[in-house]
Parts: sequence; C-alpha cells; structure tokens
Amino acid sequence: MEKPKTEQITFRVQRYDPENRAIPHFQEFVVPCSHGMTVLDALIYIKENLDSTLAFRTSCRMAICGSCGMLVNNYPHLACHTQVEEFCAKKITIKPLPNFPIIKDLVVDLTPFFEIHKSVKPYLLRSDVKEMENPTAEYCQSHETLQSFLQFTYCIKCGICVAACPTSASDRLFHGPQALAQCYRYCGDDRDDGEKERFPLVGTDHGVWHCHLAGACSESCPKGVDPALAIQLLKRRLVSRDLGIGKKTPPAPKVQPPTETKPKVPYPEFTVKQG
Amino acid sequence: MKRYTYVWLWQLITGVLIAVLLGIHMVIQHLDKILVFFGVNLGDTTSWSSMIERSRQVTWAGVYVALLAVLLYHGLNGLRNVVLELTTSQRTERAITWTIVAVGILVFVWASYVPIALLNK
Repeated sequence: MEKPKTEQITFRVQRYDPENRAIPHFQEFVVPCSHGMTVLDALIYIKENLDSTLAFRTSCRMAICGSCGMLVNNYPHLACHTQVEEFCAKKITIKPLPNFPIIKDLVVDLTPFFEIHKSVKPYLLRSDVKEMENPTAEYCQSHETLQSFLQFTYCIKCGICVAACPTSASDRLFHGPQALAQCYRYCGDDRDDGEKERFPLVGTDHGVWHCHLAGACSESCPKGVDPALAIQLLKRRLVSRDLGIGKKTPPAPKVQPPTETKPKVPYPEFTVKQG
Repeated sequence: MKRYTYVWLWQLITGVLIAVLLGIHMVIQHLDKILVFFGVNLGDTTSWSSMIERSRQVTWAGVYVALLAVLLYHGLNGLRNVVLELTTSQRTERAITWTIVAVGILVFVWASYVPIALLNK
C-alpha cells in the first residue's frame, strides 16, 4: 500500500509560562503533516514527540466539547475542526484565544466567560415555581417555535465568538455574544417565562445595547450559530416590551402525557439473535 | 432598564433624521445641480443674500435647529459609548454621562442662537 504523502510544516506556537518566563514568546516546531491532519493533531504530535511541556486544552476531537479554541493564523478556530491544508501555508502561527486571560501557553482562563454565561440564567424559568421544580406534565411546544431558536441551542461554549468580537476586546464589562445569544435562546423559548429576570441584566450599556453588529461572532462560530442574529432579535424583543408594542405570547401550557401509545414495531427477524 | 432602551432607540431615530435633514441641506446647498436636472433652479444658493433670505424663514431655522439637535445627540451619544469602554467604574460612567449631557446642552444653546438671531435680520 502506498504511504500517505507528508509535508513539513512549521508551527509557530506562542509559549507563556507565568512560573518561569513572564513574557509570551514564540517557539517553532517542524511537524510532518499529511492529508486530513488537523491543527490539533499537529499539536498532539508536538506534545508527544517534540516538547512535552506544551500546554493546550483538548477533549472530544470532534468539535463537540469546545475545549480547543485557539487563534490559528490570527483567526479563532477549533483546532480539532481545522485542517492544516486549509491554510495552504508552510508556516502556521498558533496563539491562545484573545480577550481571555492566559493561564499557560494556549490555555486560557474561561472562568469569567462562564460566570457571564451563568449570570443570564441559561435555563427555563417559570412563574409557577412549584410546577417548575416538581413537574407533573410536559410543556407543549410547536415545531415552529422550536425552529425559531433551535440554532442557538447548538452553542458549545467554546468562547470563539467572544475572542472574535471587537466589542469584547474593547469593553471588559461587555456580556459578549455567547451570553447574549443564550439569553435570547431562553427568552425565545415559549416554555420560559424569565424575561423579567433576564432583561434588567442584559438591557444595559454593557449588555445588548453595546453590540455594534460587527458580525465577527457569527462568522467565526464553528457550529454555524448566528449570535449576531440572536442579539438583534433580543434588541427587538427588549424594545417591544419596553414600548408595550407587539404581542406577548403566554408561556407554553402543560400537556398530559398521551394515554394511548402506539405499539412498538417489532424488530426485524435478522436483528434478533437466534436461539 | 427602559432608560437604556430609549437611549439606543433615539440613536437609531436620530441616525435616520440626520440622513433626511443633512440630505435636504446637501441637495439645496451643495448638490443644486441635481435640482437643476429636475427643472428646479434656486440660483446661487451659497451667496450671502440667498443665505440671509433663507434664514428669515422659520421653516429653514427649524430645519437647522433640528439638524443641530439630532447631530449633537447622535454624535455625543456615540462618543459616550466609546468613552464608557475605557472605564469599569459606575461612578466614572455617571460623571462621563453628565459631562456629555452638559456639553450637549451648552453647544445646543450656543449654536442654535445663530439661526434664531438671523430670523430678525
């Protein structure tokens, strides 16, 4: 069998170790790259073969966990979701995500990011607290309503949108596209009744009104979520609530589980183990 | 926080009003060839006599005072948004806001004096 073609690519990786050298600097590594190899594969190669002290976050390797967000050739990417070939370059620069404090090398501190995320109460809030805490039935939701916010549920909290956002870069108090999009995701869900609690948090000078609609968040999102759209929809909702215009739909009602269920389709015979 | 919503909404409204009022100013004063193309000849609109004649009309004074007001609101609120990024202290934010409001009122009173005074010339 023919051996896969490899190409020597130089990776210029930003190193920073607060315990030894306080100034971030670059270190170059030459990695043999083959067809289909991702930036994360290259980093794993460096860690396993060239320098075991290199620090970076990774987990699922399939763009689900959102751990390996980093700046590849000055643009935020998920390292596991970005192939080396995409850059058509002999040299690739890798830096940690901007707009976050660096812990070590390519590892950034996501604590403030998650704190802001938590502050917008990213869960269903209902006025009927008893039912919310001890549900007796399901909440009824139409397909159309689900479609209206479904894409915002695909957020994997990788922080790439915040790294790309020019407003987050200049305003340290700005909530950021991720938290604002999640705020809309729950406010747009008709099972939720938490606008009164969330709107005072996001409707401020450093919240939704500070978004300049640069659109960098939507462009960079590796999951195809459009946080800029969510922010505009959130603005529209805030304006309509504050001006008292537009219709406010009541929270989704409860529905009892179906009393009659269809019988299960029997397994085809060839899938059942024979005696 | 309704206050923030109204501040943003007025930023949008003044943006549209600037486009309309500045459009009127530009077409009349500097792009008069467009009007000539449509068969309207206002003569030399940049001459002193033409300017004084326009200034005596309440409508024109109103247009210029309105343009001044919307420009000041839009510009100073934009400036405030930029400056607020430089601080994390709420006290400083309040000081910046009130300074900008005071500057806006002062400039409005000062600059609107001219079109109002010219009404009686």
